[in-house]
Amino acid sequence: MTKKLSLLLSVVIISALLLAACGTPAATEAPVATDAPAAATEAPAATEAAAEPVTITWWHITTKDPGLTEFQKMADDYMAMHPNVTIELTILENEAFKTKLTTVMQSGEVPDIFQSWGQGGMIEQVNAGLLKDITADLEGEWGDSLGALDAFAVDGKSYGVPWDMGAVTFWYNKDLFAQAGVEVPTTWSEFLTVCETLKAAGITPISVGAGDKWPGMHIWAYLVSRIGGAEAFSAAAASGDARTGSFEDEAFVQAGYELKKLVDGGYFQEGFLGATHDDMNATFGNGKAAMELGGQWSPSVQAANSADTLGVKNLGMFNFPAVEGGVGLMTDIVGGGNGFAIGKDAPAEAIDFVKYLTNLENQKIVASTGMGIPVAKGASESIADPNMVMVADAVANSTYYQLYFDQVLPSAMGSIINDAVQKIFAGTATPEEVAAEIEAGFLAQ
Amino acid sequence: MQSIIPTPRWMRKTVPRFFQYLLLTITTILIFVPIVILLFGSVKTTGQMYSHPYSIPNPPNWDNIIKILSTPSFWGMMKNSLIVMVSTTGLTVFLCALVSFVFARLEFRGKNWIFNLFTVGLMFPINVAILPVYFILRQLEQFGINMIDSLMGVILVQTAFQLSGNIMILRGFFTAVPKELQDAAYIDGCTNFDFFWRILLPLVKPSLAAIAALIMIASWNDLLVPLVVLNSDKLWTLPLGTMQFQGQYSQDLAIVSAFVALSSIPTIIFYFFAEKQIVAGLTAGAVKG
Amino acid sequence: MQSNPAQEKNFYQKASGLSRKTKDRMVIILFLFPALIIFLLFVIYPIFRSAYYSTFDWKGLGEATNNIGLENYRKILIDTVFQKSVVNVVIIIVLSLAIQLPAAIILSTMVARDLPGRALFRTIFFLPYVLSEVNAAIMWMLLYNPDPERGFINGILVALGLNTVNWLADMNIVLFAVFVVLTWKYFGFHMLLYLTGLQNIPTEIEEAARMDGANSFQSFWYITLPLLSGTIKTSVQMSVLGSIQQFILVWVMTKGGPVNASEVMATYMYRFGFVRFQFGYGSAVAIIMFLICVIFSLLYRRLTNKPDYLTGL
Repeated sequence: MTKKLSLLLSVVIISALLLAACGTPAATEAPVATDAPAAATEAPAATEAAAEPVTITWWHITTKDPGLTEFQKMADDYMAMHPNVTIELTILENEAFKTKLTTVMQSGEVPDIFQSWGQGGMIEQVNAGLLKDITADLEGEWGDSLGALDAFAVDGKSYGVPWDMGAVTFWYNKDLFAQAGVEVPTTWSEFLTVCETLKAAGITPISVGAGDKWPGMHIWAYLVSRIGGAEAFSAAAASGDARTGSFEDEAFVQAGYELKKLVDGGYFQEGFLGATHDDMNATFGNGKAAMELGGQWSPSVQAANSADTLGVKNLGMFNFPAVEGGVGLMTDIVGGGNGFAIGKDAPAEAIDFVKYLTNLENQKIVASTGMGIPVAKGASESIADPNMVMVADAVANSTYYQLYFDQVLPSAMGSIINDAVQKIFAGTATPEEVAAEIEAGFLAQ
Repeated sequence: MQSIIPTPRWMRKTVPRFFQYLLLTITTILIFVPIVILLFGSVKTTGQMYSHPYSIPNPPNWDNIIKILSTPSFWGMMKNSLIVMVSTTGLTVFLCALVSFVFARLEFRGKNWIFNLFTVGLMFPINVAILPVYFILRQLEQFGINMIDSLMGVILVQTAFQLSGNIMILRGFFTAVPKELQDAAYIDGCTNFDFFWRILLPLVKPSLAAIAALIMIASWNDLLVPLVVLNSDKLWTLPLGTMQFQGQYSQDLAIVSAFVALSSIPTIIFYFFAEKQIVAGLTAGAVKG
Repeated sequence: MQSNPAQEKNFYQKASGLSRKTKDRMVIILFLFPALIIFLLFVIYPIFRSAYYSTFDWKGLGEATNNIGLENYRKILIDTVFQKSVVNVVIIIVLSLAIQLPAAIILSTMVARDLPGRALFRTIFFLPYVLSEVNAAIMWMLLYNPDPERGFINGILVALGLNTVNWLADMNIVLFAVFVVLTWKYFGFHMLLYLTGLQNIPTEIEEAARMDGANSFQSFWYITLPLLSGTIKTSVQMSVLGSIQQFILVWVMTKGGPVNASEVMATYMYRFGFVRFQFGYGSAVAIIMFLICVIFSLLYRRLTNKPDYLTGL
């Protein structure tokens, strides 16, 4: 008896598993048959209602406060105002976000609203037909109220909007500068002298996280921009007939040599080649290095990662110095920021919600809480954090705003440039070789 | 468990014992250093963690732990992780036992071929396969089987990728059970199923516990599958929860440490119980011929 | 399976009216089917799909249209970075087999039998395996910090009056630094395999050998080790395949750097697949890794062809 019972039991378990596990015809037909009448009766009822229920999916990467809470609040407020709208948030850490978005997109799916850095990566998504053209929605008041829209436009059509636009600048420890008796440099040769003097005084001149690659890459990018101006990069980055330059042009090679001077001079902290962005900020924040090239986010990371916040007590900022003989000005800025792209199947409510997200009131919240540097006109006055104000001023007064190279170029290029430039830090390739590697990578795109 | 068989050769044992303990102690220290840093870190601030990771936290900062334990989402994620872990482990152990029994105890045409097919899973790990796997989940979704944004999807994918290695391990242990036992059972009138269910499984309980422990850990720590499959944070598992403290530009290392330390506790407890099973037969020499 | 089929048939006929073969077949199908379905769906099918994509220049967005045949494979095989990653994997495999597995065997025999406190040691040794890989990587990055005030290891070196080492920044050292972490993380797994394997060895055999005057080393070498050979085979295979597929620890700690010094095949694949979005190319790397694993397994089976009661390979 028990034998038979246990055999029967196992048969039941296994068949249950089978039904659950695989798409056998029996399993798929059943729900269709029973759902159909139910759906048929519900449908008319739904259309009779004033507003059809709409669900919007929104993926963002602001995992930490203040942004986390503020975004949630904006979504909640919008849902309260529009009871038919449900916003489903998925909040992911940056790398996890990229992995998930990639996986989902290759199967043809796309969230309605999602974090985007515009340009390069976005162009590919546009070409694959995954994004929604919102040019018409942006015409008029909404579009006029925002700056930096170009970063989210491809061939004159908009597919998203920015909500934060920052920049990378030098942060320095005023106490250490005073200790070594140096002033803020305005030219590259002054900068090198400052480094040398600091080093002679036993102070590590620059903290850099070359292990994460991108923090080191910014130094090179700024040098390119200072030496070759806006022209060198845009000539190399253009495609087709518009391409008049190359990544092997003089500006890129010379940038490599100037960067090499910093490496050869021993101006970086011990073990910089393996250091992460968090490490580099811990070093600076603890007052163990005098300078660091970082974005508007840096001061908060420096403070968070240091025990005694020695490095940020007396924090200063200066623009990347001009390189003698270079075309670029000291007031040119390299920066970029965050925005939201609109997925191809996004309902009209999604666009309306993004409009709400980027209205002046919410942009002022972005400014006042220190979430970022707002793009809506008139919102930047609300920035409370003095460090952020410095960056916002540098952006506002910039003679040219160079978008981060990896945001402009096709999505693979960021990684190619990062890998190539790391070789200068490691001393395993000459600047010519590095330039050639980047060029080859670009041509392969 | 702790009883030592009295030995007349105690003199011969003392000296090797000393070296054994020396080696074990050194290994223990090596193993503990990172773990102690994790535990220290969980009661520090992130600044202290980055700046003086190996100093003793004085005074300890309990805020991290209080903060985590007092958020409802932590307990939600704990629940989801438990559901996924228990289901994946149960399902995988069950399926692996069935398959391993067939491979270890029955003869049929194409047996080697199918066994080889199963070992292929060891050669194509989930982090390589994730794109096509998601594609399939989406296809199933279109058939009306809810896989995306559902714990079921996570459980099935985890199970699929746990099968190969554990079938391989378990088949070995099944084969080690003496053939005579099976013959005797058949003489007594047992069917295959009886033998499997009533004789073999109880005998290899320690082996089942061993693979259960391995599956539990893999499932509990899995980040990729839940990340890709789950959208709504109500369904998130603990490893996804770590993301709350990792920003675009930095991560709160101290609170991450606290989160990880707290979320590891259940696995350590489960392992502890599984280990009791695994080693139950060790001193006795359980499965004898 | 050396038992006599005729005999088996006999047993069966006593047990029931149906033919033994039919009933066996029922059990086989019933037992294999559920696992096979899940497995084919989620593991085997993706292999074919990846193989398909590996012949395309595909960015992972939209349909793959630009079929370039085996061009991806050609590019991968001549890429010096990929070659470097293969060399690094081989180094990791050799080190694992030479250090990690022997350590696991020796320690597991120590904590298997009658050593007072063995349960405690067993639990401790298994702890690293319980922690997630991401976390193990983060903790070790702190230990490896070059600043002696922040990095524990360099702190000890300074205290001993030695020079500091740039563990993760020195291109000659980084791979070994990574290997230490791999050993720390995974030897508990192998120890568990050996412990379970040891359980199948009756203590009487060892006792008998001791009675005959064998010392503990001799009894280990001539008795325990040969009896463990099946488990060792499984463990070696798992270790090699695991090393080939090693990803998260390396990616979090070094991203394969500095300048590819710690690049392994899986980080190479991830860089092209998920960072540069060249999925055709990334899929081709995945297929190459897969083929390497298959070839290894076939060769390994050849080499260890002796009838084996544990893996059956």
